[in-house]
Amino acid sequence: MYGPLARRSLILVAAILAAGFVLPLCVPVYFLYLANVLMMYAVLAIGLDLLLGWSGQFAFAHIAFFGIGIYGTALFDLRLGLPFVIGMPLAAALAGLIGWIIAIPSTRLRTVYLALATYAFAECAQWAFRTFDRITGGPDGLRIRPANVLGYATGTDPAALPVVAAILCLMLLATLYLMRSRLGRHFAAIRDSEHVAAACGIAVKRTKIAGFVLSAIYAGVAGGMYTLYESFVNPDVLGVAQLVLVLTMVVVGGPGSILGVLLGVVLIGLLPEVLRAAPRGLLVWQEFFYGAILVLAVMFMPRGLWGVIEERLRARPTASRRAPSSTSSASLRSEATQP
Amino acid sequence: MRSLKRLHHVLIGAALLALAVAPARAADPGLTDNEITIGLFGPLSGPLIGYGLDPLNAAKMLYEEANRQGGIQGRKIKLVVEDDKCTPNDLVAVVKKLTTVDKVFLLHGGSCTAAVAAAQDFVNREKIPMVMLNAAGDNAVFPPTPYVFGSFQATQRVYGSALASFAAQQLKAKRAAIIVHDDDYGNANLKTAKAVLERAGVQVVAEERIPPNISDITAPMLKVRAAKPDVILSGAYPAPAVLIAQKYAEYGMTDIPLLQATQGIPSPSTFAKNVGNPDALKNFYHTWSFTDIGDAAIHDKYIKLYKSYYPDREPTAFFVTGLPSAFMVIAALEKAGKELTRESFVKALEQTRVKPDVMAGELAFGPNRRDALRDVIVVRFDGVKQTVMPGVYTWNGTDGM
Amino acid sequence: MSSLLLMQAVASGIVTGCVYALVALSLVIIYKSTDVVNFAGGELVMLGAYVGLLALTFFTLPYVTMIGLSVVIVFAVGALFERVALNTITGRRYAAHADLVPLVVATVGLGYLLKGIVRVVPYTEEVRRLPPLIAGPPLFFGDVILQRQDLAIVAVTIVVMLALTLFFTFTRAGKALRATSQNPRAAALIGIPVRRMRMAAWGLSSAIAALAGILLAPKLLMTPDMGTVVMLAFAAAIIGGFTSLPGCVIGGIVLGVVQNLVGVLLSPQAIAVTPFFVIMVVLLLRPQGLLGEALAPKKV
Repeated sequence: MYGPLARRSLILVAAILAAGFVLPLCVPVYFLYLANVLMMYAVLAIGLDLLLGWSGQFAFAHIAFFGIGIYGTALFDLRLGLPFVIGMPLAAALAGLIGWIIAIPSTRLRTVYLALATYAFAECAQWAFRTFDRITGGPDGLRIRPANVLGYATGTDPAALPVVAAILCLMLLATLYLMRSRLGRHFAAIRDSEHVAAACGIAVKRTKIAGFVLSAIYAGVAGGMYTLYESFVNPDVLGVAQLVLVLTMVVVGGPGSILGVLLGVVLIGLLPEVLRAAPRGLLVWQEFFYGAILVLAVMFMPRGLWGVIEERLRARPTASRRAPSSTSSASLRSEATQP
Repeated sequence: MRSLKRLHHVLIGAALLALAVAPARAADPGLTDNEITIGLFGPLSGPLIGYGLDPLNAAKMLYEEANRQGGIQGRKIKLVVEDDKCTPNDLVAVVKKLTTVDKVFLLHGGSCTAAVAAAQDFVNREKIPMVMLNAAGDNAVFPPTPYVFGSFQATQRVYGSALASFAAQQLKAKRAAIIVHDDDYGNANLKTAKAVLERAGVQVVAEERIPPNISDITAPMLKVRAAKPDVILSGAYPAPAVLIAQKYAEYGMTDIPLLQATQGIPSPSTFAKNVGNPDALKNFYHTWSFTDIGDAAIHDKYIKLYKSYYPDREPTAFFVTGLPSAFMVIAALEKAGKELTRESFVKALEQTRVKPDVMAGELAFGPNRRDALRDVIVVRFDGVKQTVMPGVYTWNGTDGM
Repeated sequence: MSSLLLMQAVASGIVTGCVYALVALSLVIIYKSTDVVNFAGGELVMLGAYVGLLALTFFTLPYVTMIGLSVVIVFAVGALFERVALNTITGRRYAAHADLVPLVVATVGLGYLLKGIVRVVPYTEEVRRLPPLIAGPPLFFGDVILQRQDLAIVAVTIVVMLALTLFFTFTRAGKALRATSQNPRAAALIGIPVRRMRMAAWGLSSAIAALAGILLAPKLLMTPDMGTVVMLAFAAAIIGGFTSLPGCVIGGIVLGVVQNLVGVLLSPQAIAVTPFFVIMVVLLLRPQGLLGEALAPKKV
């Protein structure tokens, strides 16, 4: 995990990029739409995992930064005429900035209070998007103009997919790099034990804040991706249900590992679509189903589905050599101690 | 001999080549000589299932009736049914699936305006006609776009206008209080009501915009009471509508007529039971788009039809809201005739006018009009009996725009 | 702004505040006993209300029996959830102190699960109303109007709060519950049956939630989504201090009154955001709330 980038990680990234260019040529728009949505969720979920799985912080503000990303990118284009390549990074930076402002007081709080405070912030943000309708269009929603990426017009699913895939690949590479950097190691350290980390000379508070900011930036980028293939946004997309969905993806897939999160995104993201084929009498059971999955996953798969798969792979006698500090204790961790 | 054989081969080759490169007769997807495939969707699960399940069943029922009577111009209707949960994400996914995977001829569905608005661009780009189920549809029909048709039980603009007109003309009110939600429905309703009231010389003394999931109605009602209105207009959803009626009775305001838009009473009998206080409804009126409320024969006819198709389900009164859009689709398909294409269907929709026996007003579109119904009636409801008030209230097309 | 208006706003605010307080009490019980924040608190309230409604409507039980039945059923649901789901999580060997996040995530799942089950019943599609415990014309206190059910709510809230405070402070079981939360290992060492204590705590909390549901449903109207009132209960608990039972009631009353004043003086639109704003402000400035214990490091 540490050390030079594993070849298979690069192959994965290349495969995603290739899919982004090849799929639009041979697959109906519906599946391209699903691909766009899943890739966007991947960035969103990895961002949440940075905070939840990597740094062990139980923060729920993610969805607010997602909103800043969507509305920011769309409004920079609509009101200020800023093209996507400027507007999106700007919106992501804005999300990061607000993340920083929120992080400073929040990192003082213990796990559950942090959860509540960040949840409250997310609700306040949704309310703000709904109320300041002169800027955001309010509940009537905002029509998003098809983005123009360096002269290439997106706006339809086939046109957007290559760009969306490219952005996902960039973010994946960034994450892989982050995992190997000093900051990444600091995240893991404070997740396992803040006291020990502090004793080793790690600036705990600053690391936590960095986690917040980075996670917010990821959410902002995901918001920008949203504007590439959707034509409309309204504040309902920033609600609790969305947050729980992303949380489920991380928890079920495998917190603390990129592959796990991607697995969770694919499974949970495709689940509603797969359920469309279910007999109609079963449709009304969906919510129950989701709740049960969440409870069961957290009960029996502490490291997610990916953790289970990894264990199976490792149990095989001819298991491939693994890097020494792999995620053997990558279960979701709370801050065990104050402050 | 040999050269003739060769010529023979060349001619056959040329003919085959010509056949291969000639464009196939481009029939629209979802259309064969004996079948029309319609993608039907609405909320079949989730919190808004009450707005979608029975109406969708009602629409389905009308299609199956049409099939039973021989189909439309010799074609039977085949349905692909999907659940859109009334959320933008799901509705867009369902629409894209129906269009590009199931390849339906036309889309028929949507009970929530915001969700429908999210799919608008795609539908217009793909040039596939979409007819809403029972969504009010304000944001998706104003401004009108070529392929999206809707508002079969009237837009919020129509309700706002109707309530305001009734208050001004019939109740001769001079001071009005308006309570709406701070969402897209509320905005449209409020703007239109105010325009009509202003024109009629009625003063708006209180304007309360409340959250859709409000649980304590004390503060807004206190302010309304303090403003001393002589009529109260409400565009609230089912739960807050009950709270408003209860609170207004609690505060002794029942001499003031209370006018409620349709979305708050999908089921009048349940509404009355929830309010639980006959005194609260002694001056209660609401809009309605259908004649079943005043005509027992029509009411029984459709209930019986519904029960014959769905014997295990007791429908809410709201099921009738699924009927008009299906009536319209069938009528337009008939009008487009045997040479049916998506374009001819769109043209037919623009030219068809129908007034089924269950509707209080005429359903019509036009080259620049995509909202089907602009007339509603007002009904007085005392908790037990519905009394249709005289007059049909028509929105003039400009108020609230 | 007339003083009558303000007085009514305050009086109604106190009543609504007790609504929040009752739910908050159930949340705080679990927190005091197991250090877990129960995000399914609202759904347990909703479950209690619906069990009651179905008992009244389809089995025509007398009101008091219905209350007992609902309380017992929801008690069982809560205890069962603790025993089956949460216990599995805390029982994992290698994750002694890492349980908190999965536990809370499990409660989020429970909320969805309960909501999903209730929604399957077609009867719940429409908005319903539970008849109140005490019906009748409203009562007048000067010019201030209150419903009889409102007084029942206030009375029950205060009684429950007092009973719980006495329970936690003076009874052995109560002290055992507090010990379990502060230091489970030490509690086990001195012979406290930790697992059973946790089950009891969850059961008790759920029972109170069910009671809250039955009292509140006539006021709030019933839909499967009525559990969202839990956020207001969280706000109440945070204002008062998440470890303090009397704090719940005070916090609830403060919140209810502030919400109504905001609605009357500013706009009802701001009502929706008030609890969240309050949560953020309190956690920022004084995380332990009005009456809570100062946050101390957890002993491992």
